[in-house]
Amino acid sequence: MTDKLDKGTGGARPAAAVSKDDGPASVAPAVIKAIPVRHYGRYVSAVVVLALVGLLINAFATAEKIQWQAVGDYVFDSTVLAGAGRTLLISVLAMVMGVVLGVILAVMRLSKNPVTSWVAWVYIWFFRGTPVYVQLLLWFNLALIFPVLNLGPLYKDEMVDVMTPFMAALLGLGLNEAAYMAEICRAGLQSVDDGQTEAAHALGMSHGKTLRRIVIPQAMRVIVPPTGNEFLNMLKTSSLVYAVTYNELLRATSTIGSTSYAVMEMLFVACIWYLVITSVFSVGQYYLERRFARGSSRNLPPTPWQKIKVNMMAFSRERSSTV
Amino acid sequence: MTAMVKAEGVHKSFGGVQVLKGIDLEVKTGEVFCLIGPSGSGKSTFLRCINHLEKINAGRLYVDGELVGYRQKGDKLYELKDSEVAQQRRDIGMVFQRFNLFPHMTAVENVMEAPVQVKGLSRSAARQRALELLDRVGLGDKAGNYPSQLSGGQQQRVAIARALAMDPKLMLFDEPTSALDPELVGDVLDVMRDLAESGMTMIVVTHEMGFAREVGDSLVFMDGGVVVESGHPRDVLTDPQHERTKSFLSKVL
Repeated sequence: MTDKLDKGTGGARPAAAVSKDDGPASVAPAVIKAIPVRHYGRYVSAVVVLALVGLLINAFATAEKIQWQAVGDYVFDSTVLAGAGRTLLISVLAMVMGVVLGVILAVMRLSKNPVTSWVAWVYIWFFRGTPVYVQLLLWFNLALIFPVLNLGPLYKDEMVDVMTPFMAALLGLGLNEAAYMAEICRAGLQSVDDGQTEAAHALGMSHGKTLRRIVIPQAMRVIVPPTGNEFLNMLKTSSLVYAVTYNELLRATSTIGSTSYAVMEMLFVACIWYLVITSVFSVGQYYLERRFARGSSRNLPPTPWQKIKVNMMAFSRERSSTV
Repeated sequence: MTAMVKAEGVHKSFGGVQVLKGIDLEVKTGEVFCLIGPSGSGKSTFLRCINHLEKINAGRLYVDGELVGYRQKGDKLYELKDSEVAQQRRDIGMVFQRFNLFPHMTAVENVMEAPVQVKGLSRSAARQRALELLDRVGLGDKAGNYPSQLSGGQQQRVAIARALAMDPKLMLFDEPTSALDPELVGDVLDVMRDLAESGMTMIVVTHEMGFAREVGDSLVFMDGGVVVESGHPRDVLTDPQHERTKSFLSKVL
């Protein structure tokens, strides 16, 4: 509001000054034509960097031991694709688990009930304080101490049958993620001004409605970017479930690599797919952030697609005017 | 006229600091009641007690004959459940110094929110009513704007429309013009003046002595958590009886 005002007066003042100085005969001022400063350092650094990049590319391109053929052959191999699919599956499921549990833990930590807030604190303390690799192994080997999973009248089964590689991977990644998501959600909820809660309460809205309609939508703006980061991290961390014999992308490619004597080539294949998946999700995150930025900035930046449309329209207008 | 708000020995302390030290006053239905005083005198705190945003420590506070925040059975007091407190607040509109509009909603969505969520009004009916209210505060053409696209004065007028959308019987104004640029104050005061003329009961914490004198029916000067002086605005502002009132007014007038 104030900067809007400032802009208004700021815009008016120079205009008034110009008309006063120039008097009745307003002549366009002479445009300054000066020789720009030469930034020789920039040319030098650009050349050095380009040379280094060239050497690196050359090293890979001319390396006789790299069988580039194998990379091409195996990128769309069905085993590799299935592995990439499992990587995606376990990452998404673990992330969903992390977000849901994380929100619950965040609300528990912020609650006035000392027992729930303390339990949430201990959970976060343990799962953030131990390596996810160790946690995966703990779940995978649970049958060593609890041979039978006995949930009373509800469920009873051999632990080895329950704790499949998939289950161990899901629990290991999901429960670990929940601890991080809890802290992210807590920071998001706390970032919303108290005045918002007060205004909602003053209107007669209940605690639940205030949280759902007023606080969480605003907290999302703070929560989404780090959550996107967490998901990208999750996609990569999921390669650790190799340890619990879940057949995801890294395990699938490595298995091929060790049997076909193309270890490095298959790691390249794994890299390609990790990059493809993370790139796709980065784009998705951009649009998600844009949606939750509503109202926080006056003008949202155009999406890449909107930019293209605007450019194309300008182009076609130009053409039609010249015709 | 009956009392819309009645305070009997209201005390409030934060930590060990006593902010309200026994407030007794009565706000009649349909009047414009102005609270003035130096900062830290407890006037905003008292206002926030009226809709139970702050819990009082001692005394009684009634709105429209109903005890605020508690239920009395015999000589025992029971705290009201959150849902019951929310029920009480529905009839009390509040306008904040810093507007507190919901930034993720457009002006019209801000005004519609409570009628839809609290009263269960249909979205189309709520929207129509919200547009009428925005028209009433002179912002019919800004319905689709987000708060960040509005000036402070416009935001405060949307906030007034938002409070009015719940059809309150009492409106609380907590220094509604203090955060505004001087040239925007007038628009907000005009809206409040119109509201006063329509017969709304209003309690206004303000530093706008001109508004208090013109529109106010009663005026209370608070200092150090107590009511120092009260009466008709013209009398108190032009002929204060207490030294404290005199020195305060000599600084602000």
